[in-house]
Formats: sequence, C-alpha cells, structure tokens
Amino acid sequence: MKTSWMKRQQHLGYLFIGPNMIGVILFFIIPAIYSFYLMFTDYKFMSPDTKFVGLDNIQRMLGDEVFYIAIKNTLMFLLSVPVSIGLAFIVAVVLNRSVYLKKLLRALYFMPYITSGVAVAFVWMLLFQPNNGPINGILRAIGIANPPGWLSTMESSMYAIDIIWIWFMLGYNMIIYLAALQEVSGELLEAAKIDGARTWQTVRSILWPLVSPTTFLLLITGLIMSIKQFGIIQAITQGGPGNSTTVLSLFIYQNAFRYYEMGYASAVSWALFVIIMIFTVVQWLGQKRWVHY
Amino acid sequence: MKKKTWLAGMTSLVLLTGLLAGCSGNGNGNSNSSAPNNESAGKNNSESSKGTVTLKMWGGVPPESGPQEVIDNWNKAHPEIQVEYVRFVNDDDGNLKLDTAMITGQDVDLFVNYTVSHAAKRVESNLALDLSKFTDYNIDEKMGSDAEGWKIDGKYYGVPTTKSAFFIALNKDALDAAGLPVPKDWTWDELREYAKKLKVGDKYGFIQNMEPFVDPIDSVLSQEGYTKADGTSNLDHPLVRKWLETLNGMMLEDKTTPPLGEQLTSKMPVEQVFLSGEVPMLNIGAWLLRSSNNFTDFPRDFKIAFAQVPRLAGSADQYVTRGGLGDYISINANSKKQEAAWEFLKWYSDGGMAPMAAGGRLPASKDANQDDALNSLLGDKRDTYDLDSLMYVMFDDKTPTYVRSLPQEVMDLRSQEYEKYFLGSQSLDQTIDAMVARHDSYLKQNK
Repeated sequence: MKTSWMKRQQHLGYLFIGPNMIGVILFFIIPAIYSFYLMFTDYKFMSPDTKFVGLDNIQRMLGDEVFYIAIKNTLMFLLSVPVSIGLAFIVAVVLNRSVYLKKLLRALYFMPYITSGVAVAFVWMLLFQPNNGPINGILRAIGIANPPGWLSTMESSMYAIDIIWIWFMLGYNMIIYLAALQEVSGELLEAAKIDGARTWQTVRSILWPLVSPTTFLLLITGLIMSIKQFGIIQAITQGGPGNSTTVLSLFIYQNAFRYYEMGYASAVSWALFVIIMIFTVVQWLGQKRWVHY
Repeated sequence: MKKKTWLAGMTSLVLLTGLLAGCSGNGNGNSNSSAPNNESAGKNNSESSKGTVTLKMWGGVPPESGPQEVIDNWNKAHPEIQVEYVRFVNDDDGNLKLDTAMITGQDVDLFVNYTVSHAAKRVESNLALDLSKFTDYNIDEKMGSDAEGWKIDGKYYGVPTTKSAFFIALNKDALDAAGLPVPKDWTWDELREYAKKLKVGDKYGFIQNMEPFVDPIDSVLSQEGYTKADGTSNLDHPLVRKWLETLNGMMLEDKTTPPLGEQLTSKMPVEQVFLSGEVPMLNIGAWLLRSSNNFTDFPRDFKIAFAQVPRLAGSADQYVTRGGLGDYISINANSKKQEAAWEFLKWYSDGGMAPMAAGGRLPASKDANQDDALNSLLGDKRDTYDLDSLMYVMFDDKTPTYVRSLPQEVMDLRSQEYEKYFLGSQSLDQTIDAMVARHDSYLKQNK
C-alpha cells in the first residue's frame, strides 16, 4: 500500500519536472551530444559531405597558435570577476549604511546591468578613444603625458575590455551583496560596536565572513558567465586589434559562424567545457577554506 | 529558515532574469523573422488563387537605396510575376541567415552574393542554380571579359550585374590650391607625396575605407598567385613588404594617414570625414556616391575628382585594379519558380536595375542604358563632380581588373598579422613570417 503510494508520488514528480526536462533535453542535452559527435568530423555548415576524421580537430586545436592566445585572453578577461566582486562588496557596504541619496545611488549602480550591451559598447568606445576621448582627456589634464591607447593597442585592449566588464557586472554583484548584508543580524553588529570594534574591523571580521557564501556564489556564476561571454567583445573589437581580444568563446563563434567550421568549433567548445569544469571543481574544493555557512 | 528564504529569493530572482531574457529574446526574434513571413504567407495565398507567381529576392542593399524602386517598376509591368524584396545585412550574421533560410527550405528564389567565396560555398552545397541550362542569355557577351572572375568551376551560377568601381576620391579644390593635377595612373609612392603636400596642420592627407584597405596586396597576388609554384604561401612577396612599409611610413613618419589602431577603435566614419573637407583623399568605392549625393547629412562645398587606385609595382602595363563586376545574383536551385526568376533576372541585368545606380551600382550589361544609370547616379548633383575624371574611372579606364576571391580565413589571418605590425607590436619580418606560417598551415588544413 505504502509503496504504491510512493510510486504514484514519484510519477507525479516526473510529471512536474517534465516540461522543463523536455526543454533541457531538446535544447541542451541533444545538441551537446551532437556537438560531441561533430568534434570527430570535418562537418562544415552547408557542406554536403561530412567525413569522420578521428582526432584531427583536436590535434589541429593543440597546434593552433590562436587557440593558445585565446586561452591567455580568456584568463585575462576572468581577472575582471574578482575585481568586480571586491568593488561590489565595498559599494554594497557603503550603500547599506545611511548615506545620502542611497536609493538613487543603488539604482544608478544597477543601471549598466539592465542596459543593452551593444549600446553600452559604443559609448565605451567613444570614451576610450585614444586621441580625443574624454578618458584620455582627463588623464592628460591631470598631467599624464602618454595615457594608454586603451582599445587601440595590442597591449592594453584586453584591460580596456576588463574595465568595461567590471563596470557592467558591478550592479548585479552589488544587489546580491546588499541582499546578503540585510540578512546579517543587527545583534552581531551591535555587540561588535559595544566591544569597541572600528568600522574596518567590523567589515573584515563580521560582514565579510558572513557574506562568504554569497561571495562564493558570485564567484562561480561570475566566472562561468564571463568565460562564456562574447557579445560585448564582438560588439567592441571583434577580437582585434590583431587577435589581442579574441577570447575562447569568440574564437568558437568565429570558427562556427564566420568560417562555418562546425567540427573544429565543436572541438574548441568541448575544450572550453573542460576549462569551465576545472575552474568550478577547483573552487568547489577550495571553498572549505574560506566559505562559512 | 533564514537560509531557505534566502534560497527562495535567489531562485525567484534567477527565474525572473531567465524570464526577462527569454521575453526579450523572443521579442527580437519575432519582430525580425516571423513578421515578414506571415505577411508574405498571406499574400502568397491570396495571389496564388489568381494565378500569379510571387518571387522572393534576398539582397543586402536597403530597399530605399534602389531595390524598392526596381521591383515596383517590375511589378507594375508584370502583374503575373510579383517580386518581393527581403533585405539581409551583408555581414556574417546576415549571410548565415540567408544560408539557413535556404537550407531549411524557406522560399528564397533569388539571392545576391557579394563575394566569390560566399558564392562558391553556396554552389558547393547545391544551393545555386547552374545557369548554363538557360541558353537565351550569353553572360560573357553581355557583361564582357570581366565576368570571367565569377565563373565557379568554369560555369556561371549567377549573373554579375553591377560594375563596381574602386577609386581614390579627391578633393579637387584642395588639389587645385596645392597646384597638383588629378592623376590618371600613379604609384603608392606618388600618393604618399600627394598626401604630404596636401596635409594641413595636424590633419591627415589621406584616409581609407577598411573594405578596400588591403586591395593593393590582392592586386599583386591575384596576378602572381597566392601560392608559389611549390604550393607554399606567397605572402612574402616583395610587394607585400613594400605595401606594409609604405603605409606604416605614412602612419608613423609622415603622419599623413591615421594610425590603424586609432581608425579601428574609433570606427572612423571616413565618408563623413572626407565629405566635410577635413581630409582631401579617400580610398573607397562607388558606394561613396550614396553619401556624396546626400547634401542634407553631408553638406559639402568642394568638387570631387576621381583617380585610379595607385599601384605598388613600377610599370603601369602590368597593373590590375580591383573592380570588375559585383552583385552576383543567383537563383535558388531548390526554387520551384526558376523560370519566372530567370525572366526577372534578365530584365534586372539589362537595365531594370538602373535605380540602383543612385547607390553607386552601375549596370554591367552592355545593353543597359548607361545614360539613364549615370543620371540616377549623379542626380541633381552633377555639377559637384569633376566629370572628366569620373567618366575615366568608372567607364573609360581600360586597366584589367580582378575580383577578390580569397577565403575569409586567409583574409582574417592576414589582417590580424598586419594589424599587429601597424600597431607596433611586431616587426616587419615577424609579420611576414607569421603571415606565411599561418597561411601555410591553412593551406595544409584545406588541401
């Protein structure tokens, strides 16, 4: 009697997750398996005949200089994640206390996140113009004779992209932090105050550890989101100048939809998957050291 | 408990974001693709009952720059064959959209290819109809020897319809003031001198549209071959080196042309910079006329003269210039209305396309009325051009031409390496070596 009731419950459960699972299977699992198969073929979009080529694509990838440049660029791009999280924490702590225009400032910080990426990209391109852009104008005005070329040189372009991305993610990270800070019990803060803790000590020893699960969440989601990000780079530089801003996801996009090299692009996609996997596992293992639930 | 509410909050937030993203995605998709489809589906139904054929033509030119007028003219004269124009943006995404539409069997009857490599890909996947089955129109005879470059495996899979002129546009007033004649054929060294003499203050003497930027190399290699006799890359040709050095000198030493990094990141609107009179020389093609006829957005107080794109090599009789023909219109091999499409295509090529000239697209066919085309090309702005040099560059110049046919991968690897050079990140020798190495590995990959 009891078992059949359990069974019915189970069936019902499947029914509930059904709609979602169908979507996941159709639009994620099947394409993923298909791309795994494509990795071993020379399939080109539109090309009538496709051959099985074994490990050729992987071999080609490992011998492709641009692939390694793309990995390096991706890592440089990921630098923006911890920086943005750190800044967001500081902003959230300040905004969580009583400051003037608190609500307005919160809204302002969140603005980038809800604006269109391409529009934002164009504004930043104007700001970053090496000769008559406002950023370099200000730098020159405060006495820096040779400000960086930002997007216009091979060396600085990735950092310029980092700055844009930090600014873009700041609002989202800040909102999540604000929510977490609201949850911090006032008693703890009051106790700290009575014990004579300074602001800095309160932040370091009470707030930061207490929001560490949030930090962890932001770190994982931020890294995954950034590693897959290519829209903003495609809009601003298309991977240039040279290939100084070609990140892995952009490299995949170019191979798949510019050159129609689906087989090769699938191989690089799986490499990207492996990299994301490694990042996540390392963080998961590392969390015990610093995340306090 | 606390953790749970927090979790619930997070979940709902994530769901909400997903929902929002989903909504916006759908919104875009719908407005772009399904709306015109529905509309046309409705039309198809209502019209097929009356026995008319509706053709769909996909092209990259905005409808208001000519195509709409062309098909309006046709539709008025041919009630039994109605043509609809669908615009795709001629970039990676747009071409992908066209390819996907054809592969998935949406009704595309005619489509315009803008490069040989795009056309070749479509031929390879059996999307473009072999036109040799129609015997009533001799493409070679109508379009002249320049059509040759569009043959794919020795056959025409489309009709190259336009004459595409590439040239250096010159500010005639500035040239006169400096006492310089309008050149007919010239070298890059001469252009460099012109740029120095025309440079005023810290402004530039010469700018380039990025599309024909790399043409000087292709002019050389389309003749000498992109590969050497032994099958390795020919990108280390001495004239490639010469091109790199000349431009680099102009950017850094003479400061007569903008450094590439600055031009790329500011997405410099070169047409506007030229038409405002700020820079006296511009490397561009016939599409300049679209802007230079538009005095509302680009007010201008000088005459424009035209010159051939300069050559790298010393002697003029070996030079080929880019141009020839463009807008290669194919018929979808899977279309069921091929006969009707062919009728339209013939009419279009033989002068039906005249309104397109307003956007700088002159008909290539010898049977098209060139005066009509010239009239719509110049409009009421005839007096603001130096007609002698215009006629020479667009019609009378007998310099042989080539059509760019390099695969996109090679174009890209080449531009990535020369960008590094012009931006000062690698030396000339490193650049040449890298171009050759990457081209060689591409050749090996695609043997």
